[in-house]
Amino acid sequence: MNWAQILFNSAVTGSLYLISAVALTLVYGLARFPNFAHAEIMALGGFIGYFVAEQLGAPMPLAFVAAFLGSGLIGYLSYRGIFKPLADRGASLIHLMVASMALGFILRHTIGEIWGFSPLTFSIVWPAFDVGPLRISLNWIILIITAVVVSVGLHFVLTKTKIGKAIRATASNPKLALSSGINTTKVMIFTWFVSAGLAGIAGLFRGVETRLSPYLGWDILLPTFAVAVLGGIGSFYGAIVAAIIIGLAENIGVVLLSQVGLSTEYRIAIPFVILIVVLIFKPQGLAKAFKGN
Amino acid sequence: MDPILIYAVNALVYIGIFAIVALSLNAEYGYTGLANFGKVAFFMVGAYSYALLVQAGVPWPLAMALAALISSIFGLLVSLPAIRLREDYLAIVTLTFGEILRIFIKSEDWLANGVWGISIPPVFAAGDFVTGLWMNLALVFGLLVACYIFMSLLANSPFGRIMRALREDQVAADAIGKNRIVYKSQIFMIGSAMAGLGGALFANFVGYIAPESFLPIITFTIWMMVILGGPANNFGVIIGAAAVQLFERGTIILKDYVTLPIDPTNLQNILFGVIIITILMFRPSGLFKESKINTLGTRRAMRWLNPSSK
Repeated sequence: MNWAQILFNSAVTGSLYLISAVALTLVYGLARFPNFAHAEIMALGGFIGYFVAEQLGAPMPLAFVAAFLGSGLIGYLSYRGIFKPLADRGASLIHLMVASMALGFILRHTIGEIWGFSPLTFSIVWPAFDVGPLRISLNWIILIITAVVVSVGLHFVLTKTKIGKAIRATASNPKLALSSGINTTKVMIFTWFVSAGLAGIAGLFRGVETRLSPYLGWDILLPTFAVAVLGGIGSFYGAIVAAIIIGLAENIGVVLLSQVGLSTEYRIAIPFVILIVVLIFKPQGLAKAFKGN
Repeated sequence: MDPILIYAVNALVYIGIFAIVALSLNAEYGYTGLANFGKVAFFMVGAYSYALLVQAGVPWPLAMALAALISSIFGLLVSLPAIRLREDYLAIVTLTFGEILRIFIKSEDWLANGVWGISIPPVFAAGDFVTGLWMNLALVFGLLVACYIFMSLLANSPFGRIMRALREDQVAADAIGKNRIVYKSQIFMIGSAMAGLGGALFANFVGYIAPESFLPIITFTIWMMVILGGPANNFGVIIGAAAVQLFERGTIILKDYVTLPIDPTNLQNILFGVIIITILMFRPSGLFKESKINTLGTRRAMRWLNPSSK
């Protein structure tokens, strides 16, 4: 058993979930509903990256920037066009969830209309090298570095900048934040943009590693929910820790699955089991451990 | 028989089956405010239970009843971890359960033939195809009427008032001594049983089921039926089921007559999304408003309050 490789793979899986879950949980904490269109925004990021890198022939870093900006723009537009008007009309939690699902369908089939439903692949080949017992590919290293940069960067934004403090204030008490002069609409716009942009980057990472399809985000969405719930909904630091835990659990779990002769398709069931256990015993997740949040 | 008539009867059977499932979501979401985002999972449990039981030689009426029962047990088990929490937790758990169930059926070939699916011997094999179609229509609509009557009685009973109370104000429901977790689980079981019945009818009518027949789009379609028709209005929900089915078929027919610049399936799904968001924004009560509680007592009270009416 190559434990070093399993640990490294866990870091890769965890990094992807981290980016996706931090993005989901930020909006979840602020808008107070799970955005089911998160999956399709991830897929969109992948396809925007594909458009820039493959169809326009631009270098890969530019593809990531485009994925961030393009998905972010969709996040902004969906807040302005759908979720803010709905919230202003007093839509219930269920209505917001259904609307986000509807947005997901619109996005998924718009992507399907533009790029088709058959899987696409990136032509870029990442250099891979061996370090001791480890097999490492460059895109994995970049993914891990991105996850670290996102965590540190957002930590800095949330604690040190004005907009970050406004985000935390709005998340903990929107009415009080509004009455103390915080422009909560601006805070929401910023959060939706950054969240959707990060989702787009997560989707592009997934796309370059595997294949692109309009269903791409769907595979990441379910573990992302598990991470968000385990971390405590809306908790940024909780999501970081939970992403590492779920990344580990999934990779160790896959090894165990193949050892007991079960299909590795059940990989997706591992986060689900963790989700159920968390809901039964500790529905508030790890958030309590991060009071300063 | 005229092919157009056959097509119409076929459409009616589909409408009937999905109306039953939509009624079940109406019990959960419309009356009680429970967010079941994995409706397709319970539909699937019903369909597969029925298929496996009939294959094992169980008589079909019993198999249908058992399929509903098995589905309701699944409903209880799945809802338990999340039902005491907020609606979003239940939505996440039920949605994920649907995905995992599909993967389970796909991976375990021994159980139900995995991705290849299984065929179900038709119930009305004695007659020819057309007779079978009419018999299916009678069966589905008979059960739809039964479900409709059951739901109307339930909605107007004291239990129905507790359902509404749970939706409107959980703390108040607690305060009058109603254990909301028990009630919610019961409603989830009723809803899952009805969805399972719909699944059994679907399996029987279609005659062949595979994991790919149970994609999350079905859950979304059923939500659309309820939201379009009018949550907490059983009649409205049935109209919603008919409207969504006809809309789905309409776009398929359209494909043969009109050349669109956009793929009809994509167009249909994009329109579904746009319609849902538009309804939520401008008419969240749906086409039909929530039906008033109608019992002997309320009728008397209304007459007493307003003698000039009637």
